[in-house]
Amino acid sequence: MKTYDFIVVGSGASGGTLIRHLHKSGADVLLIEAGSGFTKETFPKNEMEFSSQLYWGGGLEFDTKAKTAFLRAKVLGGTTIVNQALVDRFDEDCFSDWHNRTGVDFMSVEKMTPYYKAVEENLKLHTFDKTSKNRNAELFTEACDKLGYDWKYLRRAQDDCQHDNGNDCIGCLGGCFRDSKQSSWVTSIQKAQKEGLEIQCDCEIQSIEHKKDGVVLHGMQKGKKVFFKAKTLCLAAGSFGSTGLLLRSGFKKHLPALGKGFTQHPQFMYFGVFDDPVNAHRGAFQTVASGYKDFRKKGFKLEVVYAQPISVAMLLNAYGTHHQNQMRNYTKMSSIEVAVRDEPEGGQIDIDRSGKLKITKTLTDQDLKRKADGVEVLKNIIAAQGAKQVLSSPVYFGLHLMGGCSIGINAESSVVNPDFQVHNCKNIYIADTSIFPSAPGINPSLSAMAFSEKLALELIKK
Amino acid sequence: MKKYLGNSALKSLEKIGDILCPKNGEFPSYSEFGAIEFVDQMLQYAPASDIKDLNFLLSVLSIMPSFILKWIVRHMTTSVENNGVLSPLFRQLNFGFRGLIFSSYYAGKRPKNYTGKLPTELIDFSLNRKLD
Repeated sequence: MKTYDFIVVGSGASGGTLIRHLHKSGADVLLIEAGSGFTKETFPKNEMEFSSQLYWGGGLEFDTKAKTAFLRAKVLGGTTIVNQALVDRFDEDCFSDWHNRTGVDFMSVEKMTPYYKAVEENLKLHTFDKTSKNRNAELFTEACDKLGYDWKYLRRAQDDCQHDNGNDCIGCLGGCFRDSKQSSWVTSIQKAQKEGLEIQCDCEIQSIEHKKDGVVLHGMQKGKKVFFKAKTLCLAAGSFGSTGLLLRSGFKKHLPALGKGFTQHPQFMYFGVFDDPVNAHRGAFQTVASGYKDFRKKGFKLEVVYAQPISVAMLLNAYGTHHQNQMRNYTKMSSIEVAVRDEPEGGQIDIDRSGKLKITKTLTDQDLKRKADGVEVLKNIIAAQGAKQVLSSPVYFGLHLMGGCSIGINAESSVVNPDFQVHNCKNIYIADTSIFPSAPGINPSLSAMAFSEKLALELIKK
Repeated sequence: MKKYLGNSALKSLEKIGDILCPKNGEFPSYSEFGAIEFVDQMLQYAPASDIKDLNFLLSVLSIMPSFILKWIVRHMTTSVENNGVLSPLFRQLNFGFRGLIFSSYYAGKRPKNYTGKLPTELIDFSLNRKLD
């Protein structure tokens, strides 16, 4: 069996950053991805097809009580293929909380700035302005101005989205068909593949055998058992993927904190119904968000957002003629979401006897208070917009899956050490969102890249 | 033709589809539209154990009278906001059935024997895609 210098499991924000550096360094690297590989020409073209083909569980996964539906990408490029590519750095508020929780020295804006700068240099970035606002964004900002709430334009990792020429970006939630979105596929993997990076797609790693001189991975690829060996393993499969793999491999025995502290920024969507078309799905559909610092302190943020018809039908949770009459207003709805900075105490990742993920997620009293505060503001905004009716979604989704392998100094209360190395396992490293010790309240992908940048540079140095 | 669900399971799913998406003005009922032909396309990516459970459950439901199916649909819809002992089960049914039915109904794809307006056309949904 061939022994690679590095195997990277997972190809999203973290995996893409790692392979870019490791492959460039001349090391023998294998990238393993559970999902399939697509290109801008072959991404599924409608919501039904991309939901079933690009996500785990054939679309959705659930917590044990089926209260929350999780969206977890299963595709070469990971979540960076299906997200909105919103890229923000974490702030002092987040890092000081993380420093207090973990004792890790580099958890500060100052110490992380060089790594943010480095990953940003590899991305094409665009901050929206008034020319990119669609009617949904205009309704939001006009109402915020009326009520005295601060708002801001969002920054996105994109090249040339052709919004001026009428391109509707909501379609790129199923993969960008013009390679504008700065997914890891666009920014790292394609180039590395052309230069000889070995990639195994449709390959689900089931367990890790940890040896003194490296690791052996056991997996299934298109119905066949497969094995891979490496001197060093980098797990970059995200909160569920990295945590689940360690749990299935028996690491819980010496890592009691494994699986603890799962967070996900639960999101609650509200819709205002108008007489005239809003066309919230047109153009750049997610361009503005609340900027009010008081909201950050209160633990929530508001973002203008929308979804394609299947998701809206799921969110509104009606049926029969009532459902169809609501859907008739699809183009006449404004839409805003409240995203809550949830507490890690409410979330846990486990596996059942068959090795299947078992996710427990309870909203704590604090989480519910944050949601209520956010909804109160959101309802004021929709009322100020002049909507004739407000529709709320009782269904909530988790898109930012974080925690389970928290970083820290102590092996009793954390899973990876400040060198991103799994405690007492010298050949296994993690720098993806699973290492987050609590919810940052900010989109996580840029920071997963920044941590992975730091890890990659340290591995090359070694 | 259908690889993942048996005939009785498909019949149940179509009946539930007609409760979720009935004939309503220009909106075709789920069965009239014929969206059931897209269900296999989705299920080929679902975990095998989920498909097995779904097949079994829908086959059992195929012998139930319509009022029982309506009762189930009502309970799975309200389960989202309830905390009863059976609520998690009904919530799973809610996500599963609605996911399959709404996905095939609003996919924007034309079933082979349907000639009317698509549900996505009836709600004025379309996307502009500027390719390279």
